[in-house]
Amino acid sequence: MVIAKVLKKRCINLSRNYKINLLFLTLFISCYGAVAQEDQKKDYGRLYGGIESNLNYYMEDSGLGVQQPEEPFRSNNYFNLNYTYKKLTAGFQIESYEPNALLNYNPKFNGTDFGTYFIKYQSEKFEVRLGHFYEQFGSGLLLRTWEDRALGINSALRGGRIKYSPNSNFDFTLLYGRQRSGFEVTDGDIYGFDADIFLGEYLNLYEKGQDLSLGLSYVGRYEKVDFDNPHFNELTNSYSFRFDYIYNSFYINGEANYKEEDGIIDSQGSLSNDFVEPGHAFLLNMGYSSLNYGIDVTLRRVENMQYLSEREPQTFPNSLGDVNSSLDFLDGILNFVPALTKQHHSQLANINVYQALSGVSFLDPELMGAGETGGQIDFFYSFEEKSTLGGEYGTNLSINLSSWYNLPGTYTFNPPNYDVDFFGVGNKFFHDYNIELTKKISEDWHIGASYIDQFMDYRFIDGREIVNADIIVADATYNFTETRSIRVELEKMWSTGNRKDWAGGTVEYNLNEKFSFYVWDIYNYGSDKPDERVHYLNFGGSYRKGRHRIAVNYGRQRGGLVCVGGVCRFVPESSGFSLSFNTSF
Amino acid sequence: MKKLLIFAILFYLPFIAISQDKLPNINVKDLKNRTVNIKSDFSEKDKIYVFSFWATWCMPCLKELEAIKEHYNEWSEELNMELVAISIDDSRTKKRIRPLVNGRNWPYTVLHDENQTLKRALSIVNIPYTLVVKNNDIEYIFNGYSQGSEEEMYKSLKKL
Repeated sequence: MVIAKVLKKRCINLSRNYKINLLFLTLFISCYGAVAQEDQKKDYGRLYGGIESNLNYYMEDSGLGVQQPEEPFRSNNYFNLNYTYKKLTAGFQIESYEPNALLNYNPKFNGTDFGTYFIKYQSEKFEVRLGHFYEQFGSGLLLRTWEDRALGINSALRGGRIKYSPNSNFDFTLLYGRQRSGFEVTDGDIYGFDADIFLGEYLNLYEKGQDLSLGLSYVGRYEKVDFDNPHFNELTNSYSFRFDYIYNSFYINGEANYKEEDGIIDSQGSLSNDFVEPGHAFLLNMGYSSLNYGIDVTLRRVENMQYLSEREPQTFPNSLGDVNSSLDFLDGILNFVPALTKQHHSQLANINVYQALSGVSFLDPELMGAGETGGQIDFFYSFEEKSTLGGEYGTNLSINLSSWYNLPGTYTFNPPNYDVDFFGVGNKFFHDYNIELTKKISEDWHIGASYIDQFMDYRFIDGREIVNADIIVADATYNFTETRSIRVELEKMWSTGNRKDWAGGTVEYNLNEKFSFYVWDIYNYGSDKPDERVHYLNFGGSYRKGRHRIAVNYGRQRGGLVCVGGVCRFVPESSGFSLSFNTSF
Repeated sequence: MKKLLIFAILFYLPFIAISQDKLPNINVKDLKNRTVNIKSDFSEKDKIYVFSFWATWCMPCLKELEAIKEHYNEWSEELNMELVAISIDDSRTKKRIRPLVNGRNWPYTVLHDENQTLKRALSIVNIPYTLVVKNNDIEYIFNGYSQGSEEEMYKSLKKL
């Protein structure tokens, strides 16, 4: 009880510094919630949240050719606190980038402030929420607002949302908001409506081993346009329809999206009044699975689907004297058009990473694109235990093939225009064909191996060359005891461009289920430039117990893309020490 | 720097005093897109629910779920336990969930937290992350996986 009183006092002190009344209220009731947990007899509600801290100390590294940044110590910290009392929940997230955010994060993440806050009422049929919220309609091709701290993305909408489920066959969502950008919001007003309709019960499909669901979405973005007589509406409407049909072990689903005419960003980065086109995206997915195997095929065609909450990206001067656009920091993006390729866990397979071309890109007269088209196939198979190929403990096989192309058609550079075909493919942007086997060979040994063939046309991204790469990866884990184990992974990449050949290795030692240590290195031995033939050596460890985890790392960061879920952030080369901590309560 | 220290101290205060012991009231989807409530749909009295957060691209997650599979029939009968595998795959990789689950013959209930609402409410940063729940109370949390640590989990489950 004493702790609770102190806590309550601290909470009140904390809240004194902030101006927003809603937050005041949240903190205040949270403080009472803390008191409440001490007293189990009555329901005073529940308090929960989490903490994440990532601290880096950057150092000068002549071998890598990097200077120590002006502020060598940087940290990103997140603290969220929520309080639920009966049907009400209120919460907030404080973010602190002190004394500055980690290298190459959005410059708008600066200082300490409230990142998000909300209050929510939830009953069986209704959810009403005011403040910040995350939302996704269908596969997100029109709207996805989300948070990914590793990528520096928080695209929450700030406004209001109502969800209504009259019975188990319908889900409706209605929302309005402005999108978060740093600690502010962008200028566009976002309106949305989404419906999910489950027809299995109405059409008596369950008895026949079938199921069918449909979905409809609307997203509108209203933003005033600064120039006279715009050739497009200030309100951009977009619509989407989707279905998912299941028949025993077979399934097929699809989505069609349409976005009305809108001005396109020209090669100078400003909004054009002459280059005005509608956009659309189509997704088709089907698969079949039976005992021991599953196959899945996805096709997608995307044309002019860059959808921003503010039509013209913001620009920031950077330390090198260039200009960065808010899009470089994935800021102000309303929809989600991920690369549909396999997300590899190997270090070297993440050097040439593809990012979907969702919008119109006119880099020069030779390099013009208005989207992408292509597909992906996945095949999973389990060889049974005690079979010829399965051996004593069985074997798992995964095959994944993906190819992505430019839209076929005619493009003119000046005045900018395009006329593309619906079917067929243009030049290839990327492919990734890979096969992976994992196997337990005895009670103590687990092994795995994969082969990856990648092709990447960098000319469309940054004007560089075409890369063909072959990668092999092998890994083995040996258990000394039930929980003490060692894992060794070796990798090799042969590549025709982009710094050419690499080799890498990882050794991970798990002392028990709490302590792990590792050392890994990737070595660019095949680069044409002698100063690029460097090792990226890292070592570190982690301690985890229950809901807490603490990890340290010392070493070099390879410059390039850091990707999570098919979305990537550029990070510069750096060297230094990092400490990260997270917990929940 | 001073600001950071003050901030850090204020941060850590509340968490010393309290700990989340119940599941939040949050909806996720099953593999047929239907809404499932994580609290009310998994509340059979005295049954042990093991909620394991995973993704198709997370190697240690797949290793953990493969390792548990070997013992699953035995454990689930002996301990009146059900494993609920909650995928956090987003629309980039979610198409891989259905064929993977079937291709590997996973006997688990599989749910999908596509925009990571549940993951966020539980403040999960890294996966694999496993919650053991009985009578709506969170009894244990296992964070991370190294080969063999499913045995530690089994020992903990036996104590419940």
